Amino acid sequence: MTDDKDVLRDVWFGRIPTCFTLYQDEITEREAEPYYLLLPRVSYLTLVTDKVKKHFQKVMRQEDISEIWFEYEGTPLKWHYPIGLLFDLLASSSALPWNITVHFKSFPEKDLLHCPSKDVIEAHFMSCVKEADALKHKSQVINEMQKKDHKQLWMGLQNDRFDQFWAINRKLMEYPAEENGFRYIPFRIYQTTTERPFIQKLFRPVSTDGQLHTLGDLLKEVCPSAVAPEGS
Amino acid sequence: MNWQPSLVLLPGEAHGWRSLFSFSMEENEFFGEKTFQHYCAEFIKHSQKIGDGWEWRASKDCSDGYMCKTHFQVKNGTAVSHQGTSDHVQTFLPVEEALDPPLDDLEVNETTTAAEVIKYEYHVLYSCSYQVPVLYFRASFLDGRPLALKDIWEGVHECYKMRLLQGPWDTITQQEHPILGQPFFVLHPCKTSEFMTPVLKNSQKINRNVNYITSWLSMVGPAVGLNVPLSYATAASQDEGNVDGQDSSIERKSLEEH
Repeated sequence: MTDDKDVLRDVWFGRIPTCFTLYQDEITEREAEPYYLLLPRVSYLTLVTDKVKKHFQKVMRQEDISEIWFEYEGTPLKWHYPIGLLFDLLASSSALPWNITVHFKSFPEKDLLHCPSKDVIEAHFMSCVKEADALKHKSQVINEMQKKDHKQLWMGLQNDRFDQFWAINRKLMEYPAEENGFRYIPFRIYQTTTERPFIQKLFRPVSTDGQLHTLGDLLKEVCPSAVAPEGS
Repeated sequence: MNWQPSLVLLPGEAHGWRSLFSFSMEENEFFGEKTFQHYCAEFIKHSQKIGDGWEWRASKDCSDGYMCKTHFQVKNGTAVSHQGTSDHVQTFLPVEEALDPPLDDLEVNETTTAAEVIKYEYHVLYSCSYQVPVLYFRASFLDGRPLALKDIWEGVHECYKMRLLQGPWDTITQQEHPILGQPFFVLHPCKTSEFMTPVLKNSQKINRNVNYITSWLSMVGPAVGLNVPLSYATAASQDEGNVDGQDSSIERKSLEEH
């Protein structure tokens, strides 16, 4: 993992230039200017948009404000998906900046999870980390950690602290020397073309005859439609 | 709210380890997906006998699926039933989501308006990460307005609320349904094997097979307003292939017909 430190840093510090515009039907006391922000790819919309919220609420009356939600070209944005995933799925072929519309009413109950507080984001994030460890280590590593380690993982993400985060995450990325890898590889494949939100299956890092699996092997097995047939 | 007594686990309830392993496809797998689907199929068979409304839904690509039940309830607690389909069976209305039945078809005891009828949906999915079943649920009014978790809880009896708070599981959270992609409430699965293992480990004493899904659902269901009638227990203990069981006599008959 230490050899990949540069890659880890590039992934962590990835940013998407975004322009937030208030939905035209929201009631304002004066005109709302768009708000520009660089969004971290690895974080979550509701975790990094406090300034966006404050900016638009300044021109609105309290009674016209309920839960904030975001939308891109008519599609409500799932805050519980990492920002980079949302961008790659919906907007990667469009010109930058990413244009997101901000709403304060008519929350789309059938599409979006509620996000009443930061605690909900933390719970969701930790739940994902725990599920990944269930696959990698039968939950042994995450369960052996103290609460303060879990908290450090979350605080590292919340405060954009790469070293603080990886001090704990590196333990979750280790495996015993005698093994060739994790028990199963935690992955999810997202596509916009299917009703199913993502593909997630059990997949071992090593084949039965001892060969290390590649990403291509994974895709061929769980999402063959994404892989071009041989010779084409 | 009138709840029928829910299934109670009897002491010494057995589980056949051999039949469990015969369905396990992967090494070291405690409860694999094939086993899950088998127990769901058995559970649904009994549900069909008593008109309890459970059915299997395959995902669009058919690679997997889930077990689901929809029922309609008047907010003050009387279950709405569709009379006339069977003498002794209380059936619930069709499960298709697209089909919202007109209120004329329902015989209700009290006068109700559309806003007071609530649609409850319960889905049982398999988690390959934790290798256990997971219960997803949601409720909405007929006009589509969803119920918040606290509204669903209003309909749960106090004693079941206590069980949920004291039970060996984490909280209920709102999550995205992994097949439908819509918000549902979920009972977190990571502690499931903790409370199910003692149930299954009592296996050697009595050679009575237990349906894992039946046992598990009878424990978690009532805490979120889902009733599991007692007859599931008797059905589960009459294993396919055992003598003197109603199930097996039906099976022998169908074998003869082939």
